Amino acid sequence: MSDRSNRTLALFAAAAALLATPLAGRSEEPLHQAIDRLVAARTPGYAAKAAPVADDAEFLRRVTLDLTGTIPTVERTRAFLADDAPDKRTRLIDELLASPEHERHLAQQLDVQLMQRRRAAKVKAAEWESFLLTATQSNTPWDELVRDVLAADGLDKERRGPARFYLDRDGDVNTITRDVSALFLGANIECAQCHDHPEVADYTIDDYYGLSAFFVRSFVFTDPKTKLAVYAEKAEGEVTFKSVFVEDAKDSSTPPHLPGEKPIPDPELEKGKEYKVKPAKNVRPVPVYSRREQLPARLAAAENERFRRAAANRFWAMMLGRGIVHPIDADHSDNPPSHPELLDLLAAEFAAHDFDVRWLLREIALSETYQRGSRLPESVTDPLPESAFAQALLKPLSPEQFGRSLLEATGVTEATRAAERAAVQKELAAKKTELGEVEFARAVEKRVHAKLKGNETRFVSLFAAAAGEADPDFEATVDQAMFLMNDNAVLGRLQPSGQNLLARLVGLDGQSDEIAAELYLAVLARRPTDEEVADVRDYLGDATGEVRHARLRQLAWALLASAEFRFVH
Amino acid sequence: MFNRGTCGSAEHVSRRGFLSGATTGAVSALGFSGMTKVAGANELRSQQKRVVLFWLAGGVSQLETWDPKPGTDTGGPFLDIPTSVPGVNVCELLPYTARQMHHLAVVRGVNTKVNDHGKGAYFMQTGHPQTPGFEFPYLGSALSSLLVRPDNPLPGYVCIGGGGSAKESSFLGPRFVPVAVADKPPANMRIADGLTAEEDARRRELRARIGDRFAKGRRAATTEVYDESFDQAAALIAQRDVFDFTGIPDSEVDRYGGGEFARHCLMARQLVEAGSTFTKVTHRNYDTHSENFNFHVEQLGEFDQPFATFVADLADRGLLEHTLVVVMCEFGRTPRINQKMGRDHWGTAWSVALGGMGIQGGAVVGATNANGTKVVDREVHGGHLFHTYYRAVGLDPTADFVHDGRPFTKAKAGSEAIEEILA
Repeated sequence: MSDRSNRTLALFAAAAALLATPLAGRSEEPLHQAIDRLVAARTPGYAAKAAPVADDAEFLRRVTLDLTGTIPTVERTRAFLADDAPDKRTRLIDELLASPEHERHLAQQLDVQLMQRRRAAKVKAAEWESFLLTATQSNTPWDELVRDVLAADGLDKERRGPARFYLDRDGDVNTITRDVSALFLGANIECAQCHDHPEVADYTIDDYYGLSAFFVRSFVFTDPKTKLAVYAEKAEGEVTFKSVFVEDAKDSSTPPHLPGEKPIPDPELEKGKEYKVKPAKNVRPVPVYSRREQLPARLAAAENERFRRAAANRFWAMMLGRGIVHPIDADHSDNPPSHPELLDLLAAEFAAHDFDVRWLLREIALSETYQRGSRLPESVTDPLPESAFAQALLKPLSPEQFGRSLLEATGVTEATRAAERAAVQKELAAKKTELGEVEFARAVEKRVHAKLKGNETRFVSLFAAAAGEADPDFEATVDQAMFLMNDNAVLGRLQPSGQNLLARLVGLDGQSDEIAAELYLAVLARRPTDEEVADVRDYLGDATGEVRHARLRQLAWALLASAEFRFVH
Repeated sequence: MFNRGTCGSAEHVSRRGFLSGATTGAVSALGFSGMTKVAGANELRSQQKRVVLFWLAGGVSQLETWDPKPGTDTGGPFLDIPTSVPGVNVCELLPYTARQMHHLAVVRGVNTKVNDHGKGAYFMQTGHPQTPGFEFPYLGSALSSLLVRPDNPLPGYVCIGGGGSAKESSFLGPRFVPVAVADKPPANMRIADGLTAEEDARRRELRARIGDRFAKGRRAATTEVYDESFDQAAALIAQRDVFDFTGIPDSEVDRYGGGEFARHCLMARQLVEAGSTFTKVTHRNYDTHSENFNFHVEQLGEFDQPFATFVADLADRGLLEHTLVVVMCEFGRTPRINQKMGRDHWGTAWSVALGGMGIQGGAVVGATNANGTKVVDREVHGGHLFHTYYRAVGLDPTADFVHDGRPFTKAKAGSEAIEEILA
């Protein structure tokens, strides 16, 4: 049976299951409406306690950061706030999703999630990044992307990128088992390496070794001539395990299988005929039967419920700041989802739409649940828990978002964009060629990214988790604060130059309400309140000349270093 | 049934969960709201309990230090010498330290059964054998988190002579990760060029005001952590001189015996005097698989005088009673001398020295047999030592850390403090 018809069957089953619930007759309901309905239905008193939908400014900043990794330009903010078309939010979402900045940002998020900032050693970072960027540009279905990663061995010199997942984990069977399970099955089964999980009945030691049995015969082979590392495999090797909880336990073993599924027995091969290429010194062996090859299509498949759920939950958590199953790698019966029906629906619909990532992000962004304000009305005195999704959660900017937003706010990015746009146009004119709109935008974005990405390095080194660790939810250290307070990487952006933020502020001689408006629109993507205009007026006082310029810098710094700037809200 | 207590991940907790939870908890628990009113240095000096760990990386030989066996098949070429404590002898390579033995206690019956650098270092610094999938906090993070006074702006855990890893603080979070110091304070530990202290305070005040408005009606826990980090930074900047070691005079370095380790001991003294909670001073190169004796002459020649002078100085200045001093490493070295005149890894029968706060100076506990091949009296491991450190500084080692509502043992269950050396 083909992949596709398999999937259709599974979806049919999933849809049938959903129809058995009160969803019947709602098949025409768009997903974003179903999200709102199921979120509200799950929590008694939700409507009374939920934050209203965010105002335009908060929505604009949030969706721009979530989808493109940076704050909106002043130009876009002004235009969006002035626009009174009823469909302007939908149009904005579509524009953002079609932008090269979105492609870059999504690729980068996937990079961090899949590789956890490991050093690129055996596969070049550029090859991996280009694999991910190509995938986000062509909106490769999520299952296909995962299969590409899981099937990669690095043999094809033109397609080394996806093999980085295995190779830069040094082919280590335990690391790979743990990460494949946590990332693609939503199950952190690391504990089950030594014993059945003491409190999580779903994760057994047999599940752990069943998954690791796919990888146990694989290893990193480095070609002695080319020095190129590939992920090779032998025809023999079994997992052995015994629980440390059971006294005098005997060694057990298992053929490969997905957690909770039937073992896949190795085919019987005639003795001596297990290899296409026999192992020898400096020779990459090729087995007749590959255990690892059995994995991708089984794991990254619409009919694999764990995979569907983990996939839908991952993108939900990226947008909402919290998984429906939370944490996202703890999908088991003792940690039930906050909204079981919603998760089932998202998983089924994501699969039914061929794991179309852009579609899923769009539907989530269109939902009122996503668009709720982060501030509760004063009337709500006993807020619902975070898991109710009644209020937008504060998401700390990632190191990349922070670095980029700082450059956007201070006007560095806009200047670079203008210069690179001109450079691309000049290049095209010289070559007497033209580019389509999308290709042109990508060409400009590529150059802007190359020019500015160096600025993100400091932010990554200070704000990101150590290599091999997941980025923490939020932490604030003294080192970071001292950097923001005193480092030239921040303060250096606050010298007037060209049309940057400080130059514009200096140009607004004497007009504190205009200064406040420019400042708040550029840095916080909203208009200031009267109180805030008064703050600006007081801060500037009657200072003139250099003293005034210094105070303008301090004002801009105070906004950049504020909690409001630090979070997606 | 296997003791489940040793697998810390009773319910699987991702590292991300640890960090996030701990950050909020750890930082706000410090109550930094009063940060601008940093207590005077003198007050801190009298109230802050401190710990200094001397980490002899690679594994110093117990036979060439605390448990000499001269004249036996394993003893090597060195003699033992009397110390300031009648009846207690140490190796002749520690003449200066010998004169300070009345401040120090020696535990001679350490058996950790671990002969691996990584695992030994982990056991000795966390009080637990290594367990896959879970990180216990290291001594520096654990003790600083419990001892640091709320108004103390200095980092809890400072490293000299080599940095530690951010992982050491585990679920205790970023406030207690080891901070490495060098000769000068870090570049950003100063008010930026072109700003007066007054302007700096003013801009921070405005920053905080914008944050307060933002926090209203929102879930404020994380924004508080962020805001506190700026207050902490400002308080730390005000104390930057503590991290400026350029003023240590050459004459003092000479009095400490000269050399890099002497300088490091003086840096530690400066930190202790300023009220820094936990200081780790690393001295490297003890992994003497060959030429053990020549190497120990050299290594201990670097170590002895600076360390002894440090202990004497702390005692003279009235600081030793507030400061626990520990000298340890990942394991000892084999009594058997190998073909290259070396000694190999040996976790079976070795020694740890400690002194100062809560420790009975001059005490010796535990013993090895005549040629040092096994412990014959009062056998202990890293767990017992951890209980002892906690007790010495007045903490209860049996009270669990509670993280995310789950208890985590501070020191290995089933072991207890070494009462004989506690004051």
